[in-house]
Amino acid sequence: MTDQLIKALSDLEEELVLKLVQERLDGGDDPLAILDACREGMAQVGKRYEDGEYYVSDLIMAGEIFKQANAILSEKIQVDTGKKRGTVVMGTVEGDIHDIGKDLVVGLLKAGGYEVIDLGVDVPAAKFVNAVTEHSASVVGLSGLLTTSFDAMKDTIAALDAAGLRPKVKVMVGGGPVNEQVRDYVGADAMGADAQAAVTLCNGWIESVEVA
Amino acid sequence: MMTAVEKTTEMHALWQERFERIKKAINLEPVDRPPVIYMGVAFAPRYMGMSIADFCEDPEAALNVTLAAMDKMGGWDGANLPGGGRITPALTSMWLSRLLVPGRDLPSDSLWQVKEAEVLTVEDYDTILNKGWSAFLQEYLPRVIDLHEFMDFVHWNMQNAQRRWELYRDKGYVIVCDAAVNVTIPFEYLCGGRSMTKFFFDLYRMPDKVQAVMDVILEDLLAQIKAAPRPAGIGGTWLGGWRAASAMVAPKLWDRFVWPYYLKLVEALVDQGITPVLHWDQDWTRDLVRLQELPAKKCILNPDGMTDVKKFKELVGDRMAMMGDVPASMLAAGTPDDVHAYVEDLIQTFGGTGLLVCPGCDAPINARPENMQAIVDTVHSHDKVVS
Repeated sequence: MTDQLIKALSDLEEELVLKLVQERLDGGDDPLAILDACREGMAQVGKRYEDGEYYVSDLIMAGEIFKQANAILSEKIQVDTGKKRGTVVMGTVEGDIHDIGKDLVVGLLKAGGYEVIDLGVDVPAAKFVNAVTEHSASVVGLSGLLTTSFDAMKDTIAALDAAGLRPKVKVMVGGGPVNEQVRDYVGADAMGADAQAAVTLCNGWIESVEVA
Repeated sequence: MMTAVEKTTEMHALWQERFERIKKAINLEPVDRPPVIYMGVAFAPRYMGMSIADFCEDPEAALNVTLAAMDKMGGWDGANLPGGGRITPALTSMWLSRLLVPGRDLPSDSLWQVKEAEVLTVEDYDTILNKGWSAFLQEYLPRVIDLHEFMDFVHWNMQNAQRRWELYRDKGYVIVCDAAVNVTIPFEYLCGGRSMTKFFFDLYRMPDKVQAVMDVILEDLLAQIKAAPRPAGIGGTWLGGWRAASAMVAPKLWDRFVWPYYLKLVEALVDQGITPVLHWDQDWTRDLVRLQELPAKKCILNPDGMTDVKKFKELVGDRMAMMGDVPASMLAAGTPDDVHAYVEDLIQTFGGTGLLVCPGCDAPINARPENMQAIVDTVHSHDKVVS
């Protein structure tokens, strides 16, 4: 049944996923095991995206299904308990109110086992600095759709630097017009071309820390 | 010293020369050099020192400042879209969303932004099916814009279309998108009104209903196109796409909800003597091959720097011209050398024709003027080279 749940989520079978989650809960299965199966399903969605089989619409739908499964599980357990892979501070930078890309990254990171501090949109640099300090985050994600967000990203990274936090955090940037040239311009560590790339970046950074 | 009449005659001759160059590029005939086309809605006021709030508020000032920006830089053959009118109602009419307007909702010199929210509801699908698209819009628009403001926008455009066209001609500038019709695929209207995530859920959860709604909208759009007058100039029309991009939408959804509607709109526009300008933001590379289904030399692809234009050239270069695609990010964060190298590469890729050099999508508000200048200068460096 675990395989069936993983496959159902990977295939974006919304009704079947929710039915299986409920059935397994009612049957007395460990909610954390069910959650793990859902996370594995999301990991397979991410793989299918990276392989070019899935597209943004599929990621969005998968995130929605995972969110609903989480809602069912949260009646039985605190779904955000357990060991976290790491803490990521995410936000759309000051002057930009776009949230779709940022929300998608937040959803995928949570599904991937990260604690995500979502600061929302139009976030001033100081708020990123405070959140990194407060939550001892190891990764900061800066999102922006407008080209005017480039300077806000640059200012945010400068603020992290001024606060002495820059050596302690990896900074990734993303959003419609963001590319390698922009990453270089703002001084980020990496650019995520899409939401799944943000997860891959975090996994790589966390694994390198774990290996070290 | 030239008289005013002599000056006008000279400008009209220059307009004719540029018009021929653009027409040849669209028709894939050899050109002396690629046309260089202006596109920079928010760039113009920032470049000329006008506040964005004033630009948004005053349709006449928006027109004048756009022409002044083109004049100041010099060398443009034409404009993708004409300046003037009010940008925020125009965007509302395409996104069916509320706009945050500088000077009202945002600081006066910041950029307008679309407020992403679910305004069009699932229940509205039934209203569209029962009452039709136009009737629905009359009910819907007050949810996202003050109707008086919207009607003022419509009236200004209707009353000033011909004058604006002549004003551009008197300055020697050819407007590419000068046809009196402005539509896009039903997908984009619904996606804007529903909000992207909600609309994408709909595509998976209630595909048949969404398709039925799209078909109703399409009939309305086709009727609008049929009623449009045959254009006198280039006769282009902006036929946009942004969230319907191949990179965004799964193939099975794209094949059902995106492409068939482009096909039908293009066919209707071409029948009307109008040249669809496929203003495609984001990455459409996956489906470029489908452009082979469109009538040859009747459309223009207008990508934003994210679609692989080398692939476009390889697949469709013998059937369709490309207008673009200097990336907005490069114009904002790059250097003149970057822009020069990019434009040179475009010119080499396209060879002697089929290319109209233009900022991808739209030169952003913070495009560096020296980068815009580099577009013009690079193209004009070929003035005597290409024969």
